[in-house]
Amino acid sequence: MSIYNLNIKHILGIVLVFFALILPSEISAQRMRHNASRGGGRTMSRPTSRPSNNRATMNRSSNRNRATTRPTTTNRAPNRSINGGHNKSTNRSYSKNKMPNRSTNRATNNKSTRDRSATGDRSSRDKSAPKLDTRNRKTSNVKDRSGNRGNGNRGNNVNSGNRRNINIDNSRTVNVNRRNTYVRPSPRRYSRPPYAYGGYRYYCHRPYFYHPFVPFYWGPYYHPWGYFVTSLATTAIIVSIVNDNADDDDEEYHYENGNYYLKTEDGFVAVQAPVGAEVPDIPDEAEKVEVNNTTNYYYGGAFYEQNKDGYIVVPATAGTIVPGLPEGGEEVKIGEVTYVQFGETYYQPIQVDGKNMYEIVEVKKE
Amino acid sequence: MKKHILFYSFLIIGLIVYGQTTKDHDSTAIFILDKMADNIGNLEAVTFDLTNSSDEFDDNDNVVTQFSKSTITFSGPSNLLVRKNGTKGKVGYWYDGNYITYYNFDENNYVTLEAPETTLEMIDTMHENYDFVFPAADFFYPSFTDDMIEQFDSISYLGKKIIQGEECYHIMAQSKDLSVQIWISNQTFLLPKHFVLINKAKSNMQYESTFSNWSLNPSVPESAFSFMPPPTARMISILKK
Repeated sequence: MSIYNLNIKHILGIVLVFFALILPSEISAQRMRHNASRGGGRTMSRPTSRPSNNRATMNRSSNRNRATTRPTTTNRAPNRSINGGHNKSTNRSYSKNKMPNRSTNRATNNKSTRDRSATGDRSSRDKSAPKLDTRNRKTSNVKDRSGNRGNGNRGNNVNSGNRRNINIDNSRTVNVNRRNTYVRPSPRRYSRPPYAYGGYRYYCHRPYFYHPFVPFYWGPYYHPWGYFVTSLATTAIIVSIVNDNADDDDEEYHYENGNYYLKTEDGFVAVQAPVGAEVPDIPDEAEKVEVNNTTNYYYGGAFYEQNKDGYIVVPATAGTIVPGLPEGGEEVKIGEVTYVQFGETYYQPIQVDGKNMYEIVEVKKE
Repeated sequence: MKKHILFYSFLIIGLIVYGQTTKDHDSTAIFILDKMADNIGNLEAVTFDLTNSSDEFDDNDNVVTQFSKSTITFSGPSNLLVRKNGTKGKVGYWYDGNYITYYNFDENNYVTLEAPETTLEMIDTMHENYDFVFPAADFFYPSFTDDMIEQFDSISYLGKKIIQGEECYHIMAQSKDLSVQIWISNQTFLLPKHFVLINKAKSNMQYESTFSNWSLNPSVPESAFSFMPPPTARMISILKK
């Protein structure tokens, strides 16, 4: 008899230990697996009398895709809560067990609830809301480094004015961009730490000093990019491009007084100076800028190096300071700073001796 | 029989202790956090001021502290207005359920973007895509307590303390990289009064905020959340992260 009792005790004991083993791990698993405990797995630990009370699934840490369903719930009036109501898991374990009976709390704590389908429908909300007309508001251009840089950048640059209608063939876009906006790295070491944003580092020699971007006017002969003319003066020349790529040979640039034009069906349109273009002279308004201990000339957003035959368009060098920028740039907020962007080139607004200028930013991937 | 009971008791206690060595969460602290999150979750609108100090590295990798003062208004699930003025300039955020506008008062330029339809989704998306920082947004997540439980190894209740003349519950949470102290006011409603966040993994840099002037369920006109650009303000582009 006593042996039989002992066996029963043992079996009971083992069963008890088994439950003790199962219970905490179950709780811990629910707590750790955030998704499961707050999503569909919720009904497991809830009384069946409340099957429709699915709580809000707003789960910051893991469930980032909020487009998931938020079922309609509860019999309360539509919830206008600022965050959809407090959302807590049902099973928690504590180091001390001083808690009041949580089940009573739960009973009254019947939250959640905004009917997503109602508020989600923007059109129906708009009809009922006699408020300021905020629909169809113009929004900012969103730049994306990871995207197709040719399409995005070119489109944004071109669309900044009505009369500009360059419509450069997309297949050539990347070449054009690179040709005009390629930045040579700065030969000087940067003493300032870079500004980091979105996996890229932005290096500059001088501190950021914001001033609004106002396109610089280079005199009466200067034509901003996109400027359209039906015909060119007889003094215009067809420029030769040094080191040109073979696939660009269908582009014929016309040059006149510091402006470059591409032929279109109806006439000519002013474009950025192509790197490698060689011209006999540049306008008098060109300014001298110091680049890499040599003197370059800066006119209409292009840098020129002088040689025995005239001037040749060279790519911009990071760290170069320029007094003004032509039309066609756009201000872009990059984290906490606002740069002016031309194609893939960023210009940081700076101040030199009280004058507003720009420094070409060197961008490096982290 | 006694022997057996003792044996199994020790076994169970041992297992329970083993099961909980990883996390140490005080039920009182959790209860207070829950209560605070309940109160916040029941608000339909709220306005408060936030005084903030935050450490960051300067050009020479020294830690400098930036200060700011913000006025923040939530209204319903899809309206938010933030005005922040501090050592790094003055900025504002307007969110009306459709659009979010970031306006820089100093540079007089702004960015308007289409936004998700709830405030918290918007905060998440904007932070993820553009590094927008909404001060003290952590407290307004519906799963605040659960997030704390998940993120911190220990959460403890350190007793009642007086902060700026208000009796507060002092709660501390620790993880490997972060240390957080929260003071929750016991004055009428359980709402946050003060918090300090120390980034142990990053030179013990500190982020500190004080809440004041809580106004619960104020009636704020909806038009207040729509941005009207000043006549000379310029809309600019923005680079996604």
